[in-house]
This record gives sequence, structure tokens and C-alpha cells, in this order.
Amino acid sequence: MRHVVCPVGELPAGERRIVNIGKRSIGVFHVGDRFYAVRNRCPHQGGPLCVGHILGNAVADVPGAAAVSNNPLRIACPWHGWEYDLATGQSFLGPSDPGVKSYAVALEPGGALVAEVGEQQVKLVPGPYTAETFEVKVEDDYVVLEV
Amino acid sequence: MQSIDCDVHVAPESFDALFPYLSDYWRQYITEAGVRLNGVSFAYPPGAPTTASPTARELAGPPVPATYNQLKENVLDPTEPCAVVLNCLTGFETHRNPYYAAAVAGAINDWLREEFLARDDCLRASLVVSTLSGDDAVAEIERMGGESGFVQVLLPVRSDVPWGNKRNHGIFEAAREHSLHVGLHAWGRAGRAPTPSGFTSTYLEDYVANQPIAQAQVLSFVSEGVFNRFPELKVVLMECGFAWLPPLLWRFDKDWRGVWREVPWVKQPPSEYVSEHFRFTTAPAHLPQDPSALGQLLEMMDAGALLAYASDYPHEHGDGLPALLDQLDEHTRRAVMAGNAAAVYGIST
Amino acid sequence: MSGIETQPLQAATGRAVKLVDCDVHAQATEPMLTQYMSAGARRRLERYGHRSPRITDWYPRARNAGMRVDAWPDKPGHIWGSDPETTRAQLLDEFGIDYALLEVLSGADCYDDADLAAAWNQAINDWQLDKWLEFDDRFRSAICVPHEYPDLCVAEIGRRASDPRFMAVMMPASAMEPLGSRKYWPVYEAATAHGRPVVFHTGGYMDHRGAGYPSFYLEYHVANGINMQAQLTSMVCGGMFDAMPNLRVVLTECGLAWAAALCWSLNAGWELMREDLPRVKRRPSEYVRDHVWFTTQPIEEPAEPRHLLHTIEQAQLADRLLFATDYPHWDFDSPTQALPRAMPKQMREAIQCDNALALYGLPRERAIPEVK
Repeated sequence: MRHVVCPVGELPAGERRIVNIGKRSIGVFHVGDRFYAVRNRCPHQGGPLCVGHILGNAVADVPGAAAVSNNPLRIACPWHGWEYDLATGQSFLGPSDPGVKSYAVALEPGGALVAEVGEQQVKLVPGPYTAETFEVKVEDDYVVLEV
Repeated sequence: MQSIDCDVHVAPESFDALFPYLSDYWRQYITEAGVRLNGVSFAYPPGAPTTASPTARELAGPPVPATYNQLKENVLDPTEPCAVVLNCLTGFETHRNPYYAAAVAGAINDWLREEFLARDDCLRASLVVSTLSGDDAVAEIERMGGESGFVQVLLPVRSDVPWGNKRNHGIFEAAREHSLHVGLHAWGRAGRAPTPSGFTSTYLEDYVANQPIAQAQVLSFVSEGVFNRFPELKVVLMECGFAWLPPLLWRFDKDWRGVWREVPWVKQPPSEYVSEHFRFTTAPAHLPQDPSALGQLLEMMDAGALLAYASDYPHEHGDGLPALLDQLDEHTRRAVMAGNAAAVYGIST
Repeated sequence: MSGIETQPLQAATGRAVKLVDCDVHAQATEPMLTQYMSAGARRRLERYGHRSPRITDWYPRARNAGMRVDAWPDKPGHIWGSDPETTRAQLLDEFGIDYALLEVLSGADCYDDADLAAAWNQAINDWQLDKWLEFDDRFRSAICVPHEYPDLCVAEIGRRASDPRFMAVMMPASAMEPLGSRKYWPVYEAATAHGRPVVFHTGGYMDHRGAGYPSFYLEYHVANGINMQAQLTSMVCGGMFDAMPNLRVVLTECGLAWAAALCWSLNAGWELMREDLPRVKRRPSEYVRDHVWFTTQPIEEPAEPRHLLHTIEQAQLADRLLFATDYPHWDFDSPTQALPRAMPKQMREAIQCDNALALYGLPRERAIPEVK
């Protein structure tokens, strides 16, 4: 199921939005020129993962010679700091460690959405506290989440 | 069953044994200053039950063998190990004059070679170094590290600065160049408070204190990336116990998972470095009396991979070891009694 | 020692206690505390500060500055843990916590002179009373004391003793001397005389003198457990349990899985040396059994959860463990997730509630608190 999160203008680069879809809380992120979405629940002790810091990688082959890179991007749980790949949801420890569910998220042009659902109003995915609806504009792009 | 005994103590009874290996200057200094060897007595008070077993006390000579003949008569002949690693802790009682410490370390190593290593192929020894100067430690490793029989560099578990600290890495570099490992032994220089809160006031506290200190050293070696820089290095913890290891590793792994970015060279969970690089002698074997609790402990730690037998002669810690060995299968027992030490020290059995 | 009268409850307004949190950090900013101090003390602090460095400057907490990122109150003048409203919402209400024991660490790392230390700790306790205990009936407090000055500690304990909401006395996990030292016995005696357990909370000067100072917060953090081993050793060997048969201590925020192995070591050593330990008349593990409780956070998480249960069994801790979250610190334990699933229900309930009720004499039912 695809859900419209918001017009792209409401989620500039560097920001995030946490949305509720049914019982699931999902964090949607705009980092650089990409969008990411992961479940807002740390596999460790259930913390609000998507409130955490986003960090690139830190590497060092020998003690003291450490460098940071932008790749891969990870989200660190605001509780114990356990980290998950933002794109895949995989635990930084690797595939054998419990990861977090990640979702496909992309921009879609308003025209395509209107064509799909007609000119009726499209329900905006409710945020944590409110439900909103809005009119999809053909000339805008929208952040669309696949759950 | 074949055994390699990874910790047997020897020590000169007095400076007389070391004088042949010391310069005129140091002989004069030692005599004028009245410096005496007291057998690391704060660690091993002569009358304490842990200092020597009743058997060792009944001997004519000192409880800690001071000559090859004493060693042969009291340890080698009765127990017939196929190899023994000798540890002389006399360097632990050097005071803070770094030049004295370096001189005494050298003298001890000369004495070990002449009195023991040169006389019996089954003997190995830990190389004594100054703990007051990395340069002097390196120089001693370079001087004596090539002598056959020395298997590891002896360091005291009690230190001014944790051993993994980068200022000590030169020692590991020199050890690596001479194919030596590191042996970390209980105790160290007297006069430093052994707890995070000051001095202990009973011997029992001080005795047990070696274990939390050993744990801190384990943290240091891994956190400081010693095994990244020196992947062949093994650290053998001697007379520091081992039953404390599983809970420490659970905590260490979990905490690393949260703060690994502080030490990004620690690329795997710390417990993996410990399994690969640490070994623990079987003394003290402070274990539960209940066999099923002991069985649980053995489930939590890979005794067959991690433990290396040591009599710790002449010290006395109780007799927990037989119960542990009883619970191991034949193959694992062999590994503990000899196999693990043989692999670490390159000893053929 | 419950001094709390249970009001006659109407059926709709009472509830059975299910969850007690035995380690919550209320954290005060300096202005929040100095308002309770004299002008002279305030001026001293303004001009000279404390003599001890902030522990977070010694070993910066490498993850999230040491706090739960989501615990920032976002109110002017406030920091993590300083706002009772935020703590109430994020912790008590979120998780249905019935009682929360506040342990304020602001005084624990200090080594100021006697007068300033006494004034500072008195201010902490005044702040706790004024802002927290009066705010919500679910909060309880540990009495903070100027621990290097036992006579002044006794005075401060005396000041708070008649208020049952101050239900423990808090000491740090390291100080100028080992905590079993006779120096601190008057503090323990006073606590015990007033029916309060003594909580030893991870922290303090932590001088790392056995192996020297570690380089990294990772080592420092893991060492919290190791350091408490040394302190428990001091407590047993120094004879305080013999001297104070009713003393109860709570080792807090240090883990628990290490207790069994330490007891085996102390027992083995004592077997050999007992003849010369006149103040350690009983086997050490018996003293631990009779006198020592542990909070659960940061709970150890072995790959095989059964192993944790084994260490609990080996040290006979099932009725000695007290659940704790350590809110708002970064290594917070969730009340719903932290205890392993493998733990039997009865043990879980004991740890989450019954053990704390028994230790602290808390009522089994409480009235629904008024929201103020």
C-alpha cells in the first residue's frame, strides 16, 4: 500500500517526519538527495529509533587513525545507540543480528497521483497526533511511502 | 596425562644470587642503601596460608625454589611436567629508581638463563622487564628476547597506566619481533592503592583485588587496539582467576555496541578479541562448590580454549581445579593440561 | 518502616502496585540548587566552583552525550532529568511505574570542603522535596549526603528521617577510602537506625588506582561493574556487616552477573584466611545474601539469556534484585523489554515489584495520584 506522506516542500533535506500507519510508527527521512524510511522501533528494547542521530560510518584500521565517511548512513537508537543501516535496516553488526524493517520511499509527481486516484482529495498519512487531508496538486512532487 | 605447567615461581633468596650479573656500581648501591629482597612480601606475606602450601613449607629450603636443584626436587621430579614456565616476580618489588629497575631486570634474566634455562630443556621463562621505562623494557627484550627458553614478557597486572595504553605499544612491538607473547601476572609494585577508592586494609581484600584489576587490563588491551596492531600477540593472565570472565564479556560486548565509535578500530565484539588473544591460567580456581553451578560456568565460557593449567607453585588457593577438570571430557582436559600452552608457546608435546 | 498511611480507598481509586523503579536520575542545574543555599555559599560556588572536575569532562559519554536523546525537556533552563513533568510523562505514566526512587548524582563526584559539601547536599535534598516529592506521590528520594564528612552526613540524615518519602541514604561507589572503611560506618549506622537502606550508586571519584586511568569511556563504563566488585569486597572484609546486623545495602547501576564469581573468590580466600579475620565471622556469600541487594540496570545481555538466569541463581539473587531504568541515561533499561523473556513470571514480578516493596516498606496499594 502506498501512502502519501507530504508534499516534498514539507520535508527538506536534513529533516525527518514520523508518521503512523495503522499500528506502525515509521520514520521518513530526507538525507542529501535521497529518502529513507524505517520502523520507529528499535529491535533491542523498543526505543523510538527514528528520533536518534543519523551518522555515517567511522573506520580505523589502527588505533588512533580514525576517519568518518558518509557511507553507509545509519540511524542510532536514542536509547542505547545501537545502529541500523538507514537504507536496508540491517544492524551494523551484520545480517545475523536483528535488524529493523525498512520501507521503500520515493518522490512521485502530483500528476501521476492524480491520474491514479482521480481528482478526489488524497488522505495525508496521519502524523503522530493529527490526521490531515489535502488536495494533491499536479505540479508538486510528493513523498510516497510503501508499506 | 601430560601437563605443561604455565606458572611455577622461582626467586633468588638474596641479592647474592644476582650480584654476579650486576655492575660494581649497583652492588655498591644495593649494599649502601640496604636494599633487600623480601620475596614480594606485601603480595606473599611469609606466614599467609596462600603464600605457600603446607608441603612447600615443610621443605628444608625456601618455599619458592631459588636454585635449579630445589626446583627439580620439589616440582619437576614429583610432577613430571613436559614443560614449565618459570615466573620470577622479584622485579615486582623494585622501587621507583628506573635505572635500578632496569639493572635488576637484566640481572634476573641472566640468572634465569644460567640457573634454569641452560640446564633443562623442559624449562621456559617469562622475560623480566622494567615497568618504569618503555625504552628500557624494549632494550631488555632486544638483549635477551632471542635467548631460547624465554616465551613471553612478564608484566605485573598492577600498573600505573593500563597496559593497553599506547605508551606501552613499543613493548609489544619488541615482543612481536622476538616472537614473544605477554604474561600478565597477579600483583605488582607495592604502595599503589589497588582499588578505585583507596588502599585495602586486609590481606583478603588485596588478594581478591587482583581480579578486578585483571579485568580492567583485559578492557585496556582490547579497547586500545593492541590486537589490531599486534595480531599475533597472546596475553596469558596468570594467577588472576577466570570465573569472572563471562559476565565481564557480556557487559563489554553490550557497552561496545553502544559506544564503538569511540574506538572504531575495535571492529568486532570485544569477546571475539578476548577468545582469540587471551589465555587464563587455572589459578586461582575459585569455583562454586555445587557441581551443577560449575557445569553452568563451563557452559558460559569455553574452558577448553581459554584455560591453561598452572600449579602456581608454591602458592595455595584452595583445591577447586580437580572438580573443574572432572567435568571436562578427555579431549578438553588435554587441551587445558597441555594443548593450549603448547599452542601458545610453541612447545611440542 | 512504612510511615505512609494508606487512606481508606474507594474501589475506583486504589490500584495494586506492579512496578517500582529503583534508580531514576533527577538532575539539577546549578541555579536550581543554589536557590536553596545561603548567599555566602552561593558566592563561593560562583567564584570558585567545585573542586572536582565534572565526571563528563573526564570521560565524555561517547553516545548521545550520555543521555536518551528523546529525554530533553525542551523547556528553558531545563536539562535532561531536571523537569518533573517530563519525567512523569516519559517514565511514570508511559510505563505505569508506581514508585520511582530518585538518586541525584550532583553531589556524588564532589570533594569540596565540609561546609560547602554539606550545604550543597542539603540543597539537593531541599530541591528533591520541593520539586519532586511534593509534585507527584509516586516519587521517592534517596538522601544525598556529604559523604567524606560522616558527622555531617548523620546530621543530614537526621533532618530528613521523619519524612518517609526519603526512603534511602545514598553514597557514591567510590570515595576517598574504600566504602567498607570504618570512616563511613557512622553514615551506615544512622541510615540503619532510621530504617533506611544505603544505596551505593556507580560513580564518585573512581580513581582507577589498581590498573591506572583508562583512556576511553568504553573502559570506564564497563569498569563500573568491576569497581563495585572491589567495593563489595571492602564491605565484606572490613566487617561492617558483622558490626551492623540490620544494615541493608543496594548496589546500584553496576550490573549483577558478576556477583556469583566474586562470592566464590571471597569464599575461597576466606576458607584459607578465616582464622585471622575476626570481623568476618561468616562465609562471605552469607553476608552478601543477608545484606546486599542489586538494581538490575544496566542488565547484562548474554547471547544465551539462560546464562543470566544461571548467575542469578548461583548468587541467590532472585529476591535481591530491584528493577531499575536509570532514566534518563543513555543505557536506560525499558521496563517492558529489559528483563529477558526466559525469566519465569514469578521472578519477573519479584524483581519488578515485590522485592522493592519488601526492602523499602512500600505499601502494596496506592491511591491514584492527584495531578498537580
